[in-house]
Amino acid sequence: MHNAPDIAEVLARTQTGEYCTTKEWDTRRVPGAIRRMLEKHQLAKTCNPSQPCNTDFELADRFYRAGFDLALELGYHCIDTQRTVKVTREELLNALKYARSEVFVGEGIDGTLIKHRTPGDPYPTASVCSLGITNSEKMFPLITEGIARERAVDILEAGSLTTIFGHEVLAGTPWETLMGYEHARMHREIRRKAGRPGMGAIGCISATTEYGQFGAYGTPGGFLPTDLALILFPSELKIDYRTLHKVIHTLNCGGMLKCDSPGMIGGMAGPPEGAVISSIACALLSYAILQNTVGGGEIYDVYYLANVNREGLWALSMTGQALSRNTHTCCHLIANQVSGPVTASLLYEIAAGVGVIASCGASMSTGPRSAGGKLNDHITPLECRFVGEVCHAASGVMPEKMNEICKELLPRYETRLKNPDIGKPFHEAYNLDRLEPTHEWEDIYRKVKGEVIALGIPLDEF
Amino acid sequence: MKSFSEIADALGQAVAEGDEAQATALAKEALAAELDPQQIFSQVITPTLGEVGRKFSCMELFLPEMMLAADAAKAVLGILQPAIEARKSNVTMAGRVVIGTVAGDVHDIGKNMVASMLEVNGFAVVNLGSDVAPDAFLRAARERKADIIAMSSLLTTSLPYMKDLLAVLQESREKEKFKVMVGGGPVTAEWAAQVGADGYGKDAAEAVAVARRLMGT
Repeated sequence: MHNAPDIAEVLARTQTGEYCTTKEWDTRRVPGAIRRMLEKHQLAKTCNPSQPCNTDFELADRFYRAGFDLALELGYHCIDTQRTVKVTREELLNALKYARSEVFVGEGIDGTLIKHRTPGDPYPTASVCSLGITNSEKMFPLITEGIARERAVDILEAGSLTTIFGHEVLAGTPWETLMGYEHARMHREIRRKAGRPGMGAIGCISATTEYGQFGAYGTPGGFLPTDLALILFPSELKIDYRTLHKVIHTLNCGGMLKCDSPGMIGGMAGPPEGAVISSIACALLSYAILQNTVGGGEIYDVYYLANVNREGLWALSMTGQALSRNTHTCCHLIANQVSGPVTASLLYEIAAGVGVIASCGASMSTGPRSAGGKLNDHITPLECRFVGEVCHAASGVMPEKMNEICKELLPRYETRLKNPDIGKPFHEAYNLDRLEPTHEWEDIYRKVKGEVIALGIPLDEF
Repeated sequence: MKSFSEIADALGQAVAEGDEAQATALAKEALAAELDPQQIFSQVITPTLGEVGRKFSCMELFLPEMMLAADAAKAVLGILQPAIEARKSNVTMAGRVVIGTVAGDVHDIGKNMVASMLEVNGFAVVNLGSDVAPDAFLRAARERKADIIAMSSLLTTSLPYMKDLLAVLQESREKEKFKVMVGGGPVTAEWAAQVGADGYGKDAAEAVAVARRLMGT
C-alpha cells in the first residue's frame, strides 16, 4: 500500500497546515532548522574548496540523514496560503520506497532509460540538453534541430521562446498558453526532422506559469505523457499553486514529473553545507508531496551565479552522493556554467561540472547554461554534444579520480568565473546552412576535448 | 544609567544579530537616557549595517541574517526618527527605494538580496514582494515618495512588465520623478538601456553601486 499523501490530501494540507509567513519561513524557520541540522550531524565547515569533489562517502551519508531530518522538520512552505505542508516519517519513507528507480523517457529506439545510479556507476548519466536559454523565434528551430541531431544528447529540453508570431509573451496571460502549445508543437516536429521522433523530451521550459504548461503538455501534437513535465519551484522548500497546477495537470495527463529547485549557497540555506542539506530535503519531499517521478537535488551559488566554482562543485558532489547512495531514486543535477560558446572556458566548466555530476551518481543532468543563460541565442549544439559526451564518459569515473581532474580543470577557468567571456551567439558560432560549428569553435572543442581525455575522462577519440 | 558606549555596543550587537526586540528595547532605553538619536543612528546603526553588508559579501553571514539585521535597523529607525525630527534634524538616507519582483514571477531570493543590501547600505527600502503589477509599483512609488523603483525578474516572460511600467511612467509624465533600476536572470545592461531603464545591476553589490550613482552619491 502506497501510504503517502495523495494529491487531494496535499491540497488539503496547503489549506490546513501550520500558518507561517514567507518572511518567517525565509529568515527564521529554514535557517534555524539548517543550523540545528549542521550542529546535530556535525556538518558545519566540512566543505573543503581544495577538494572540489567529495570522496568521503560516510560524510555524504551524514548529509543525507541531515536532509532527511530537515525534510521531516520543515516540509514545504506554500506561498499562496502561507501554510506548511508536512509529511510524517512513515509517509516520507513510503514515498521513497515506492519511488521509481527506472524511468523510460520517450518512445521506442529513440527513447532513453534513466536508471538509478551510485557513485562511479558505469551506467551512463542521461544527458538532457539544453537549459532554458532564450532563443529568438528565428533561431529556435535551427538551434533545437542542431541539438537534437547530436547523438550524445539523450533527451531534448531546448531553449525557451520569448516571442510567438512576433509578439512578446507575457507570463500568466493567454499569450503564454498560445506559446506553450507552439513551443511543444515545434519541439516535436523538430525531433521528427532530426530523425529522432521518439526522442524523449522535457517540457515546457518556456512555460513560466501553469498556462504555458496547460498549452504544452498533453495537448494533441504537444508533449506526450512519455515525456517529462518540467515542474520548477519558486525556490527551495517553497511551493505555490502554480507548482501544484502543473503537477496536477501532468498527473491528469498520465504523465511523468521532473520536479526540482536548487539549494542556494548564500541564500536561505546559508553556507555550502546548508545548501546541500536543503537540496536533499527539497528532493526527498518532492517524492512525498508532489509525486515526483525523477529529479531533485539542484545546487546554485548566488555569489558566482553558477555552481562550477569550488564550493558549488563540492555541493553538487555531496548532494549527488548523498541521494544516490541512500535512495533508489533517479537523482538529477545541473551544472551551471557562465562562459559562452566559442570559448575554452565553457568547455572546461562543462567538463568539471558535468563530470562531477556523472561521477557522483546522478541519473540525469540537464545543461549547458552557456553564458550563464542570460543572453539570447548564446547556445550552440556543439557544447550540448560535449555535455552528452562528458555525461556518458564520466559515468564510471570514481569521485577520487574526478576530484583530481577537477583540481586540474579549475585553474583553467576559475579566475574568470566572476567576469566571464560571453563568447559568441549561435549565428556567429555556426554555419547556419549546414548546421555545423565554425572552424574556430570546432578547433577549440577538439583542443579541450583532447585535454579532458588526457586528464582522465575517457571521452571517445575523434 | 548606561553610558552612550554601553548602549551603543549592545544596540550594535542586537542589530547585527537581527534581534529586533532587543534592538528596539535598547533604542527606547537610549532615548530615555536622553542620548542623541542622530548620533546613535550615524555612529551605531549605519556602521553596524555596513559591517553586515561586508560580511555578507565575503560569506561570513548569509541572506537570512542580513534580512533580519536590516529589519532590526528599520525598527530602531522607527523609534529614533520622531526624536530626531523633534530636534529639527532628520535622518539622511542614501535614497528611498521601492522594490519588487514583477508580475508573473514569484522568485524572490535575488530581489530580497538586493533589498537587504540596499538597506544595509543606507537606503530606505519598501519591499513590495513578488508578482507585483506595474501599477502597484507606481502606486507605492508615489505614496512613499520613492527616488528609485527597482524591479527584478528571473523569467523572460515577465520582462515585458518592466517595459510596461517604463511606458506608463512616460505616458503619465512621471519618468523624471523616479529612477528605474532593473535586474534578474535574463536582464542585461543592453536590454536595460534599450527599454529606457536608468540602471542595471548584475548582482546585489552592483545594484547598490548603481543606486548610489542614480542618487548622485
